Amino acid sequence: MQEFLIRSLDASTIFTIAALGELIGQRSGILNVGVEGVMLFGATLGFITATTTGSYMLGFLLAIAIGGLLGLLHGFFSITLGGDQVVSGMGIWILGFGLTTYIGSPFAGPLGLPRIPSVFGLSPFFFLGIALTAIVWFVLSRTNLGLRIRSVGENPVVAEVSGISVTKTRYLCVVTAGMFMGLAGAIFSLDYNPVWAYNFVMGWGFIALALVFFSMWNPIILIGGSLLFGSLWQVSLNPQLLLPDLMSRYIWRTVPFTITLVMLLLMSTRWFRTKWGATKPEALGQAYVKEG
Amino acid sequence: MRIGRPTLKLQKRVYLSGWRAASISILAILVALLLFSLIFLLAGINPLTAYEEIFSYAFDNPFGLPITLNRFVFLLLCTCAFILPYKAGLWNIGMTGQFYIGSLAVYGVLLGLGFRGSEPVNIAPGFVILLMVAASMVSGALYGAIAGFFKGKLNTNEIVVTMMLNFIAFWLVSYMIKEGGPFMNPGGRGESFEMAASLRPPTFFNVPFTIFLALGFAFLLYFLLKRTKLGYQIRAFGLNPTAAEYAGVNHVSIPVLVFLLGGALAGLAGYHYFAAVPGVFKIARNYAFFGDLAFYGIICGLISQGNPLASIPVAFLFGGMSVGGRYVQGKLGMSFGVDFALMGVLMITLVAFQFFYRYRVVFSNPQKENPDARILD
Repeated sequence: MQEFLIRSLDASTIFTIAALGELIGQRSGILNVGVEGVMLFGATLGFITATTTGSYMLGFLLAIAIGGLLGLLHGFFSITLGGDQVVSGMGIWILGFGLTTYIGSPFAGPLGLPRIPSVFGLSPFFFLGIALTAIVWFVLSRTNLGLRIRSVGENPVVAEVSGISVTKTRYLCVVTAGMFMGLAGAIFSLDYNPVWAYNFVMGWGFIALALVFFSMWNPIILIGGSLLFGSLWQVSLNPQLLLPDLMSRYIWRTVPFTITLVMLLLMSTRWFRTKWGATKPEALGQAYVKEG
Repeated sequence: MRIGRPTLKLQKRVYLSGWRAASISILAILVALLLFSLIFLLAGINPLTAYEEIFSYAFDNPFGLPITLNRFVFLLLCTCAFILPYKAGLWNIGMTGQFYIGSLAVYGVLLGLGFRGSEPVNIAPGFVILLMVAASMVSGALYGAIAGFFKGKLNTNEIVVTMMLNFIAFWLVSYMIKEGGPFMNPGGRGESFEMAASLRPPTFFNVPFTIFLALGFAFLLYFLLKRTKLGYQIRAFGLNPTAAEYAGVNHVSIPVLVFLLGGALAGLAGYHYFAAVPGVFKIARNYAFFGDLAFYGIICGLISQGNPLASIPVAFLFGGMSVGGRYVQGKLGMSFGVDFALMGVLMITLVAFQFFYRYRVVFSNPQKENPDARILD
C-alpha cells in the first residue's frame, strides 16, 4: 500500500510538471496539443543519453533542451508564421511519435543504471514538482512578468498598445513550456519507468493537456487534478490493491481515460461554468499579427 | 509582413487554385523526402538506394504491390474519416479508436452468428459479409459521434475527447482478444479467433472489394462537399461557426454528422484490415501497429487540403511508402519504425508548408512605385 502511494505521487509529479508547462503556454495564449510528442522526445532522448553516457544529469539536461527546442519550433510556427496552433501541435506530436519510435528502438529495454536515490522515501522530483508549482503560481499571479503573460493571453492587442511585446512574451512562454514537458518526459523514462518501449508515454501527454482544462488555468488546482489522475493511473495498473476481481485488468486500463473524458464533459457544462466561472484565456489559440 | 529589406515580400493569398495547391503539396513531399534522406545517411545508407528500394518494392513488385493496395484502401478510408470533420473545422484524430471499434463489431457479428469454431451452414456467406460491413460502419459511426455530439452540445475539445476514446478502444480490444476475453483465440496467442474460411471475400489481385467501396466513398464525399447544400453548410461551419449559425446552420447536428460519417469510414477500415485482407482474417496481436498507421490519415488529409479526390493519389503514395519503409527496414538492416519516422518527418514538413498555402513570396523592385506592377506586366 505504501508502495502504491509513493508510485501515485511519482505519477502525479509527472502529470503536474507536463501540465504546468502547458498551462504557462496557454496563459500566454498559445495552445500546444503536442504535449505527448514533446514528452516522448524528452523521454527517449533523455533515456538514450543517460544509458550511453551513464549520467542522469546529462539525460535530464538534454531532455530539457530538446523540450525547449520543440517549444521554439511550435513558437516559430504559431507566433512568427501565425499558423494554426492545432496543426503545429499535431505536427509536433506525430513527429515525436514517429521519430522517437525509430530513434529509440535500438535502446529498447531497461536503462541499466542504479535508481535515482529517494529523498525521505519519495522521489526527489516530487519536491521539484511542488517547488515548480509554487514558482509558477507566484510568477503568474504575483509578479509583473505574470501580469504581462496573462494580458498577452487575454488580449494581445491591448497588451501591445500598453508596451508589452506580445511576440517576446509568447516565445518566452512556449519555450519554458517545452522545457517543462521535456523534463516531465525524462522523469518518466529515467525515474518512474526506466524501460524504453514503443510509444511508452501511453497518452500521459494528452491527459496532461486535459488536466490544464480541468485546472481552470490555476496551478494550485492543477496539483489536485494531478494527484487524482496519478493515483487513478496506479489503481488502473494494480486494481487488486483496492477492488480485487471487479473487472478485467484491461478494462481497468480504460478507467483513467474514461474519467478524463467524464471530467472534461462535466467541466464543459453550462452548470459548471456558471458555478465556478471557469474561463479560458480569451486569446487562446489565436494568432496575433502585429498591425502595420 | 516583410523579410529582408525591399526585395522579398510576403503577400497573403486571397485565392488558391487547385493546381497551385497541388504544386505546393508536391514540393512539401519532396522536401520531406530530402529531409528524410538524413535518416538514411545517419544509418550509413545511400538515400538513393533506399528510395529506389522503397518505391520499387511498393509499386513494382508482385509481393509489394498488393500490400500497397491494401494499405491504400485503409489509408484512403482513414483520410476521408479525417477530411470530413476537418472541412467543418474539427479534428478527428480518433480514426484509430473508430477503427478498433469497427473491428470489434465485425468479430461481434461472427461470434453472435456462431462462427466461432464451427461453421453454421444455414447462413449465406454473402449476407454475413454484408452484416460485417454494416456492423463495422455503424459501430465506428456511433463511436465517432460521441466526440461530435459533445463538441456540438458542450463545445468540449474534440482532440482530447477523440484521443481518450482511442485509448479506451485500444484497451477494449486487448480485453476482448486476450486472457479469456470473448474473442480470444483458442490457442491463446493474444489474438482473436480466426474468421471462417467461407466468409473470405472475393479478391482481385489479392485486393478485396473494399477498394471499390473506399474509392466510391471518396467520390461521394467529394460530391457531398462540393455539390450539395449539406456540403456547403459543412464548409461554412468550418470557415466560421458563428456566422454559419446565424445563417441557419445547426451547431450541434453538423459536428455530429461529420463525426458520424467520418467514424463510419474509419470503422469500415476495421473490416477491411481484419476480415478482408488476404492472410489476416483475425484481429492480429499487433493491432496497435495498424491503429497507429491511421494517423497517416491526418497527413494525407492535410496534404490533399481536404479534397477527397486529391487524397486518392496521396493515400496511394503514402500507403506505398509506408509499406516500402517497412521493407527497407528489414532489407537494409535499419532499426524498427522507419515507416513511423517517415510519418513524423512528413507531418512536420507539412506543418511548415501550411505557410505557403496562405502566403506567397513576391520579389519586388524597390525602385518602382508599385511593387506589384511587375507581376501584372
